[in-house]
Amino acid sequence: MITETISKYSYINKSIPRIDSIDKVAGSLLYLTDLKLENALYAYTFRSKVAHGKINAIYTEDAEKVNGVKAVLTYKDIPAMNGYGAIVPEIPVLAYDKVRYYGEPLALVAAETQEAALEALNRIKVDITPLPVVRSIDEALDENAPKIHEKGNIARHTVVRKGDVEKARSSAYIVLERIYETPMQKHMFLEPEGGVAFVDEEGVINVLAGGQTPYRDRIQISRVLGIPPEKIRVKNTPTGGAFGGKDDITVQIHLALLAYKTKRPVKLVWSREESGIAGFHRTASKIKLRTSVDRNGYLLSNEATIYLDSGAYQSFGPTILDVSIETINGPYRIPNYVIDANLVYTNNGIASAFRGFGAPESNFAIESMMNELADELKLDPIDLRLKNILKTGEVGPFDNKIRHAEGLEEALKRAKELFYRPDPTGPFQRTGVGIAVAVKGVGFGTLPEYPTAAIEIVPEGRVNIMFSNVDYGQGINTGNAQLVAEKLQIPVSQINVLHSDTKFAPDTGGSSASRSTFNAGNALLLACEKALSELKMEAASYFMTKSDLVTYKDGYFYFKDKGVSIYELAKRLRLKGKSTRFEATLEVPRYAEAVEGTLEVPHMVYMYGVIITKVVVDELLGKIKPREVDFIADIGNVINPAIAAGQIEGGIIQGLGYSLIEELNYDKDGKPLNINYTTYVVPVISDSPLINVEFIKSYEELGPFGAKGVGEISIIPVGASVADAVTDAIGKRSYKLPLLPWRII
Amino acid sequence: MAYEKVEVYSPRSLAEALEILSQKKEQIKPVAGGTDVMVMLKDGALKEKELLNLSYIPELSYIKEKENHILIGATTKYREIRRSPIINAYAPILIEAVRQIGSPQIQNLGTIGGNLGTASPAGDSIPPLYVLNAKVKLQKVGSAREVHIDKFFLGPRKTVREADELITEISVDKMEPGSYYFFEKLGLRSANAISIVNAAGILSLENKTIKYLRLSLGAVAPTVIRATEAEEEAKGKELTEDLIERIAKLASEATRPISDIRGTAEYRKKATYGIVYEALYKILKGYGKKIEYGFEKIS
Ligand SMILES: Cc1cc2nc3c(=O)[nH]c(=O)nc-3n(C[C@H](O)[C@H](O)[C@H](O)COP(=O)(O)OP(=O)(O)OC[C@H]3O[C@@H](n4cnc5c(N)ncnc54)[C@H](O)[C@@H]3O)c2cc1C
Repeated sequence: MITETISKYSYINKSIPRIDSIDKVAGSLLYLTDLKLENALYAYTFRSKVAHGKINAIYTEDAEKVNGVKAVLTYKDIPAMNGYGAIVPEIPVLAYDKVRYYGEPLALVAAETQEAALEALNRIKVDITPLPVVRSIDEALDENAPKIHEKGNIARHTVVRKGDVEKARSSAYIVLERIYETPMQKHMFLEPEGGVAFVDEEGVINVLAGGQTPYRDRIQISRVLGIPPEKIRVKNTPTGGAFGGKDDITVQIHLALLAYKTKRPVKLVWSREESGIAGFHRTASKIKLRTSVDRNGYLLSNEATIYLDSGAYQSFGPTILDVSIETINGPYRIPNYVIDANLVYTNNGIASAFRGFGAPESNFAIESMMNELADELKLDPIDLRLKNILKTGEVGPFDNKIRHAEGLEEALKRAKELFYRPDPTGPFQRTGVGIAVAVKGVGFGTLPEYPTAAIEIVPEGRVNIMFSNVDYGQGINTGNAQLVAEKLQIPVSQINVLHSDTKFAPDTGGSSASRSTFNAGNALLLACEKALSELKMEAASYFMTKSDLVTYKDGYFYFKDKGVSIYELAKRLRLKGKSTRFEATLEVPRYAEAVEGTLEVPHMVYMYGVIITKVVVDELLGKIKPREVDFIADIGNVINPAIAAGQIEGGIIQGLGYSLIEELNYDKDGKPLNINYTTYVVPVISDSPLINVEFIKSYEELGPFGAKGVGEISIIPVGASVADAVTDAIGKRSYKLPLLPWRII
Repeated sequence: MAYEKVEVYSPRSLAEALEILSQKKEQIKPVAGGTDVMVMLKDGALKEKELLNLSYIPELSYIKEKENHILIGATTKYREIRRSPIINAYAPILIEAVRQIGSPQIQNLGTIGGNLGTASPAGDSIPPLYVLNAKVKLQKVGSAREVHIDKFFLGPRKTVREADELITEISVDKMEPGSYYFFEKLGLRSANAISIVNAAGILSLENKTIKYLRLSLGAVAPTVIRATEAEEEAKGKELTEDLIERIAKLASEATRPISDIRGTAEYRKKATYGIVYEALYKILKGYGKKIEYGFEKIS
């Protein structure tokens, strides 16, 4: 249900169709992996067949001899730094001393034909001494475990505390201690990692590849090639799905390197199986919680030991760990806590960003704990939450003043009406209902963010809006166009989006952390203000009056009964040799300092969600069928209700996959077992339950027209709500996702 | 990855196809719908360098009645089986199974002969063929033989088919009017799922007494199996909850499952029990599916 309430706005709060939908629906859109460049070389990656080992030698001579082969590159061919990684640049572009996961790239091949490239790939030989493989958090922590990196298997360790947990616990009415586990999840975007690269006439290396953060990609490429960022262009649009899995570098550096070395256009696209083997995935987690409450159900203390499996390298590990720290207390008032958070190395591929970014992992733990505490206290789980949620103006767990929490309270109250166990559907079919609450910060918390966006008033009658965030399916192009339309009071049809291309769009950052509406939207509105104030002066000069006597409405400036359009004014500016492009930079509101030991805790703006999941469990087969899901969200003012609801629905289905069936597995030698759509099972549309999405009326003053963000919130609480519903149905509690049938009976 | 280069032969008659096969034998791979072969080709799992394309041989695709039997040409597609009035009328259990194979796209291409050729223990059309007493016709240049479905499979991906033979026809018994039937499939999702366990059953009741039960189970042993002890136990007895419990237990005991990413062996045993129990329980409570002759429904 999407309710469009009567709104005072003209262009927002409206479910207009997505502006980029026609080409997608018609199938005529050319994705970057569809591009065929003239004279392009075919590129392939030579990957390790050993999950952990010492590299003694890589033999490429035979491969180089193949007719048509233009390049066989190894670590020796890297001009500058052999490393990348969004937070810590420790991931080798091409492995040199060790391999640390199955599928790690060792060499790149480019040739005139696919056949020649594959033949060369076959002829590369490596000499690697295998080392024992570390396959899980537990194995990594073992004191005799082989060290994956010299410094050991703990990549990062942070302790955050407040109050006196011992004391609080000793006076508690109930103390529960539990261990929760969640799996590695694959993004399974439809378009695998890939793209093309070429060097243009000006000597600029153009990298056109699916991605999420073009300017960071550019810096990472520049560090490896040792050439300035201005000599590199990165274009990330259109990208066929990402979900975080394309936020760090995938093919971009390899493409740039090959184009740079061969001076030829190159195309590199991973097969589905390569994406399965070497693409990123969500961190697996193991979280120990000891939580205490008093007799009245008020939380006293929370002791959390968090382990996240970062795989072989860190990528976004440190900030994912931060989000898991920030969300392990939920949106609750917990006066005493200790969070001992650890990022652990294993030989399981590389974990990186994935929708929710550490929050689904922590949420499964704390929300399952809340449900079990409610049971123990014989208290309604919604009442337990209502007692404990932080209110607007209260000081949160990280000394952060809570800006807006009234939406969460309202959502919980609404949830009371939807929280009931459905009638049974037949013999052996048990039904159950479960609940969970989600909280997630928008953007990068205390990390400094200075997004820049631009608008250009084109005299021919359109407004170009420019930002670097990528619309890989979320709908931000449409939402941001609506924001600009609202600000300028012009129809969306006059707005043209130029985005995610360092050639045209300024650096607004990337699409991640549900930030693209908040950051790009705000920066665009600032740019609009600049444009309007500049144009107003031009209008004043046109009317031969003073600018404070000029008014603005619907794309026209007025003085007395005369009007002039923004396009007419832009023409005048152009004639005068002035720019009609207006750029603005936003200082993203944030707290001055991060909590010690973290990079980005806490955030200032939080999204909230309450989920109610109703399931049917076949008690003889252990099979769980989600039947209905209600999601009540506080995402601030809703710019486009249909798109926002689509984000919520998509997150729920992806969350149901995560909760019920999805799990990336590795064999005893560290080789991934389920690497394509046949073996890595994701839900299909007929698995979807009925989904009811409701938005709380809410307004965040810091956001563009009151908006917060929406991309991640719905996936976060799915796991705990499903586990709770299953408990309600069959009376057995689960502490490990996914809830595969053989874990249920 | 690029595809391996393969040579494709597309004969226009069965005789021509058999002739090619007699020359090339294990060097050539028959391909019908290609829904398994193309996956192998892409995975680099195909050892043959040549394909024998059976899609242009109309004489291999048909559904006919012959007395108490139904004859199905080997390259008959699932879509055609689903739509066939003959199968709907006399062997609806096959429809139940075919409906749950893959997705519409797969049913538009996949063939019943291909499911036998692949010989996966989880093949969904196979358990119904067991309880329909299917016979598989294998033909080569100059001769033909019929193999009972029980004897056709030797193990996972292994059959008695010789390299110079083609599967040309599957014949099944018509189901007895008034008998109950079921096909149940347990997968991790509702379409395009490989069975963790599947089961097909035909139950013939006279008043309340069981004349016979035919029960077959898939994905729980190296080949699809008949649960013969369970069938014996059922014969001549009244259908009660107690009996269902015993049948389900015997069915579960008949399995020899493995553990893989689609389920543990222990779970497969439990699920076999559950799937058989629930299917028979439905019949006991009066909402099982029953075959009525003359009523030709199209699903
Ligand atoms: C997405 C997807 C979903 C699927 N879902 C299911 C499912 O739910 N249940 C299920 O059981 N299967 C499923 N399959 C597997 C496949 O669709 C079936 O096994 C199908 O019946 C194969 O038929 P085909 O005509 O496509 O076979 P092909 O791929 O053409 O051939 C399969 C094998 O049979 C041999 N063969 C074919 N015809 C003959 C013949 N006449 N004589 C001798 N040998 C022959 C071939 O040489 C090959 O070994 C799925 C496959 C895919 C790709």
